[in-house]
Amino acid sequence: MRTESIRSRLSHWTVRDAMAAGLLLAFAAGCGSPQAEFRGNLVYVKRKEIEGQTSFTRPQSADMANILAAYFGTPDDPHLPKVPGVDMGPLVDIERVKMSAGKVASDKTGQPQGLYREHCVHCHGITGDGLGPTAAFLNPYPRDYRMGRFKFKSTVKGQRPTHDDLKKILHDGVAGTAMPSFKVLDQDEVESLVHYVKYLSLRGEVERRLADEVVELDEGERLVLDASEKEGNAEAFNGKIARLNEIVAEVVQPWLEADGLAVPIEQRSAGWDDPEAMAKSVARGRELFYGSIANCVKCHGDSALGDGQINDYDDWTKELEPAKPQALSQYLALGALDPRNIRPRNLRLGIYRGGRRPIDLYWRIANGIDGTPMPAVPMKTPENEKGLTPDDIWSIVDYVRSLPYESLSKQDRQLPQMTRERL
Amino acid sequence: MGRFWSLLFLSVPILGTLAFVLAIAGVGPFRDHWLPENVNDYGGVIDQLFMFILYLTGVIFIGTGVALFWFMWKYDAEKNAKPAVYMHGSHALEIVWSVLPAATLLFIAIYQMNAWADQKMRRPVAEAGPDGIEGTEDDVLQAPIVEVTGRQFEWRIRYAGKDNVIGTPDDVHGVNDLHLPVNEDVVIQIKSMDVLHSFFLPHVRVKQDVVPGMKQFVWFHGNKSGIYDIVCAELCGWGHYKMRGKMTLESREKFDAWLAEQYAEQERSGFQPKTGADEND
Repeated sequence: MRTESIRSRLSHWTVRDAMAAGLLLAFAAGCGSPQAEFRGNLVYVKRKEIEGQTSFTRPQSADMANILAAYFGTPDDPHLPKVPGVDMGPLVDIERVKMSAGKVASDKTGQPQGLYREHCVHCHGITGDGLGPTAAFLNPYPRDYRMGRFKFKSTVKGQRPTHDDLKKILHDGVAGTAMPSFKVLDQDEVESLVHYVKYLSLRGEVERRLADEVVELDEGERLVLDASEKEGNAEAFNGKIARLNEIVAEVVQPWLEADGLAVPIEQRSAGWDDPEAMAKSVARGRELFYGSIANCVKCHGDSALGDGQINDYDDWTKELEPAKPQALSQYLALGALDPRNIRPRNLRLGIYRGGRRPIDLYWRIANGIDGTPMPAVPMKTPENEKGLTPDDIWSIVDYVRSLPYESLSKQDRQLPQMTRERL
Repeated sequence: MGRFWSLLFLSVPILGTLAFVLAIAGVGPFRDHWLPENVNDYGGVIDQLFMFILYLTGVIFIGTGVALFWFMWKYDAEKNAKPAVYMHGSHALEIVWSVLPAATLLFIAIYQMNAWADQKMRRPVAEAGPDGIEGTEDDVLQAPIVEVTGRQFEWRIRYAGKDNVIGTPDDVHGVNDLHLPVNEDVVIQIKSMDVLHSFFLPHVRVKQDVVPGMKQFVWFHGNKSGIYDIVCAELCGWGHYKMRGKMTLESREKFDAWLAEQYAEQERSGFQPKTGADEND
């Protein structure tokens, strides 16, 4: 009897000790926060597989991950690709990238670290895929940087945004979406985050290009050769590396050019905002809005309520092939978010996602909005006599800016009554 | 062992008082833990009320703590052989501990009424109404200079602009960066776009929940230029901590100039890309 009770006591203590030791270990290891890792673009790979009626082999997928890690590092230790002939200097500054990378912390001087994880990651995700934990609850979904495309910018549709374009989004937020303003952060911190967003974009684009490349390979062929195969095969080995460097260069090039591609806008002649001139311009803008060239009415609707068409998708969603349920279900299984239609903007709300300045609206109309069905209006050229002139665009801008203050029903404007107005 | 527990109880009023003294003095780890400087002419009364209630509760807190300690020390079972004595209540004692708190609470209730009315009901008057006498029912109340709308997770700002009316084309829009003139009454209209937020300006002692569907007004009279905080004081969602803004109090001239500059930027109708020289700033 006595021995038994001792034994049961012993086992009791062992369990306790084990629990205590386990707790200690957990604390020492940082209580179970896993190492941050970039996530592969599984949806895009799947799409390529379906398109090419092939399937990526394990070494091919491993190559993609290894090449990306070699070029861009990890979330805790990012670096930039070193490619002969490509100077990343003017585009991304690795020191600024590092300030945003890694865990949230601050160094001895109080300089913050890990800004991306502090401010952005819960929506945009560690990879910049727009799949952070809160993403599914938002409408519209957060931006996926990996296509390298951004909507609100000063460059023409299809081109990359300028540095200042991205900075403006961080400063002002995107009104009407869940993207808030980061105006009160230090300028250094905002600057660092812009560099980090570019870094994630470049990485995501290279990843997509690698997937494109894999589809082109012969069966069983790989993106790189093992070091052991280099012997006597140097030409093929180096050829593969050169091809990869070429891909990186092709991705970086449009970004390098973008800063010089902001579309200049001729200053409007003085007096444009005189009430009389403005009324004329608004009337002209209205004509163009409903006209066949700008044809804004087609999508934005008869009353500019954004209900002209409601079935289209943006380019990020189109990747999920929402029209093909079978493909779509495979993408959703890989973590993609339920597709939603992109709605043309309701122009009577007075909320302008890309900014409310006349030049912002001018760019939207003249350049189109990247990644969306919003096209650039055709401009008047010697070949295209029917196109619009800059003055025409200004008139559309004036009309659009007048819409929130115009009564739909031509009656006296009825100010919305608050349910309860105090004092 | 009994004495140990009584000392433990004694440590509560001692450590509690120490924490307050250190915080008020602003030393050590308690630096910047006390109320921020008050820069609102109407904020002093809030501080007075706060300090009054703090002293009142402080005295009671210390008294209770010391009494608990004293009882435990004096009647420690190890040192007392005498059996406990039971009594059937004391009418006089019960009256004392009912009437005293009731009177105190009533005093606070009456003492604060004016402060509450000044903060929440007596919005500054712009001019006397048709009867020509200020302070009567028909006074024209001061119009809000700006509207601040709480939104997950930022403060959207809209100035009334030149016509002094919010909701017209000459409004000046902004976000998180609030500028206001100092040394004059300022009325702010506050709203919420989505959920319950609380518009909190700690340096001017203004705090008001903003409720979706409800338009409210807060006001103050800043008396010191500077940059102060705007925070959200109501847990409004996962990004609550992000809802930080910056309030700049500055002279009327500077404020007007700033507002004009913001308006000019908002109406910007021309863009020339930066030249190569300053491209990489």
